[in-house]
Amino acid sequence: MTKRDLLEIALSNLTRLRLRTFLTVSGVVIAVGAFVAMLSFGAGNQKRVQEQYEKFGLLYTMQVFPDDERPDSLPALPLDDSALALLQGIPGVRLAYPLDAVTLETNFADTVMSARAQGLPRSALETQLFSHLTHGGLFTSDSAAEVVVTDRFLRRFDSTGSADLPGSKLVVTTRLATLDSALGAVFSDPDGSLRRRVAALRLDSLRSRAFREQAVRDEAGLALERFLEGLLRHRATVVETLTIVGVLETQHMTRRGQEELIVPVGMVRRLTQGGVSDNPADLFSTLSSGRIPWAGTDGSSRDYRRVTLDLDPTMPYQPIKDSVKALGFDAFSYAEQFKEIREFFVYFDLALGSIGLVALVTAALGIANTLFMATIERRREIGILQALGARRQDIRLLFLVESAAIGTLGALCGVILGWGVSRIGSAIAQEIMERQGAAVIELFAVTWWLVLVALALGLCVSLVAGYVPASRAASVDPVEALRAD
Amino acid sequence: MVTPAGEPLVRATDLSRVYRPGPLEIRALDGVSLEIRAGEFVALVGSSGSGKSTLLNLLAGLDTPTQGQVEFGGQPLFTGSPGTLAAHRSLRVGMVFQSFNLIRHRTALQNVELALYFDNTPKSRRRELAGATLERLGLGARLDHLPADLSGGEQQRVAIARAIVKRPQLLLADEPTGNLDETNAHEIAELLRELNRDGITVVLVTHDLELARQYAGRIVRLHYGRVIPEDAA
Repeated sequence: MTKRDLLEIALSNLTRLRLRTFLTVSGVVIAVGAFVAMLSFGAGNQKRVQEQYEKFGLLYTMQVFPDDERPDSLPALPLDDSALALLQGIPGVRLAYPLDAVTLETNFADTVMSARAQGLPRSALETQLFSHLTHGGLFTSDSAAEVVVTDRFLRRFDSTGSADLPGSKLVVTTRLATLDSALGAVFSDPDGSLRRRVAALRLDSLRSRAFREQAVRDEAGLALERFLEGLLRHRATVVETLTIVGVLETQHMTRRGQEELIVPVGMVRRLTQGGVSDNPADLFSTLSSGRIPWAGTDGSSRDYRRVTLDLDPTMPYQPIKDSVKALGFDAFSYAEQFKEIREFFVYFDLALGSIGLVALVTAALGIANTLFMATIERRREIGILQALGARRQDIRLLFLVESAAIGTLGALCGVILGWGVSRIGSAIAQEIMERQGAAVIELFAVTWWLVLVALALGLCVSLVAGYVPASRAASVDPVEALRAD
Repeated sequence: MVTPAGEPLVRATDLSRVYRPGPLEIRALDGVSLEIRAGEFVALVGSSGSGKSTLLNLLAGLDTPTQGQVEFGGQPLFTGSPGTLAAHRSLRVGMVFQSFNLIRHRTALQNVELALYFDNTPKSRRRELAGATLERLGLGARLDHLPADLSGGEQQRVAIARAIVKRPQLLLADEPTGNLDETNAHEIAELLRELNRDGITVVLVTHDLELARQYAGRIVRLHYGRVIPEDAA
């Protein structure tokens, strides 16, 4: 019996019992459809993550931080310009640039909002991380009064006409807390209270050590209060009018390393010269670093919270990370993060696939039931085939082919159903994202490997489900079968 | 290899078949020895339960004996390989049953074609052979009819066509007239005699002694699983 004959007889048997075959195949279609739709959600997210990492070159980007958990409780090394030079010298590092950010008050489209601006050298803007300009171009120099805005920044203003933006103006303001005002407040005594407390001191009281210590503590506390009051109340204001030169696409994977506004590195220094932004986060960060670029310094000894390394794609990231650690800094590798994300997606896909498999097992029971029924109903037919010369393996194969035909047809239709469900799911999700003002992204992807896995699973499950009924059919005693009336 | 006429085609030696459906033992055949020569028309007669069908099933290779051996053309049939028995049924033996055993959802032509699926006959040749055989048996106008649309006699003719389409050396007919009226029964018996005249060895199982006497060249009587010697019959 040839394979073609087997297929012909099998299909003839299946088409003869159309309703039963339809119902059994439907079970497989729904199961495979559910499997494909669920896994396409995992695959879609995985694909989006991978595309983002590749598009923005995150796999070749590393972030360096001061190491707050050094061995032997040593203090964290400052991430300053000399550290920047050392990092730049590590083999495999194409460019090292610091995160020099400031919180600004922006006046754009008649709306005043607070936004974070990041100072970058022009060379950093040429790396892949910042390479996705949707309109316009880069700064003309590292000190130009220019700005590149991100689509994330524009969305906050409900601005959609980003094509016309290059050339328009953005007014930015910083309010700086300065050391001059803070120290002035410490030594000022506008209401005469300090003078009164000094006058009230009595010599015999000063002989008491406890009294002296308490008085010093009280005065130190009051001085700190006046310092902070001076720091926060008497601020210097810096206003700059910047020309928007480009619009940058934001990478969605991680906002670390990309602020809403990108300005030349010299502009950030100009905006923060002689003080520190009064933004609580900036202030706390600066104070906690212990090294404040106060008035009187030229800004050459700035400390950075983070340095970004643009890596050579041909070099492995681990030796570079080891070199960074050896310099006494902490490093975060997106490539390492991507590896972890991929591992997560393996488990995520397994979880989704397991749910789909439950549906497939149910479908398999349907196939088994159909074939068991067929074995009973076609007992005489099996006997006839054996009397005509069919071997037991021919009978087994015949039933397995019928089972495989159900599985294959069900899997094919299931893939189409799963694809359809994923498209509907995607359309609904994108509609919601659009309404919420979020970036519209593709959540589902029916990949070629998913199609192959679904088809293979449909076939395998049907063969497994059909094996026992097929074996039972093959073991039918022809004498008994032909005797049956 | 075709056995020349007059030479032993089938030799059954000391055949026994015991069934054990439960605690009881049913001895359907008990030491049957029989020789059938090529070109013979042998009738196996006996009452119900005498072992006629069991013997036929053993000669067809559908069943295996508890004891004994069947030689076909000098070659032992029961060698332990199921493939040998399947090849025997596919290439050398044709079977006809009392209840026709046609597949009801296949046309007359498709039923006959089915016999050629297992001997590697090409598809185009299958249709040609099946059609020609049905034509020969007077069913040329019934090729595309389903069994339900045919009379009992016609159904049995289709069954005979299916049995002879592969040109077997041995045709085993198990009560082929049992479900037919007298006219149709004689027509079928006559057809079997014609096929025998064309060179096919025929073994006919029947309980109708008159029919056996009228058409068969030799009668073998079975009684409680044993062959009754001719002088005792």
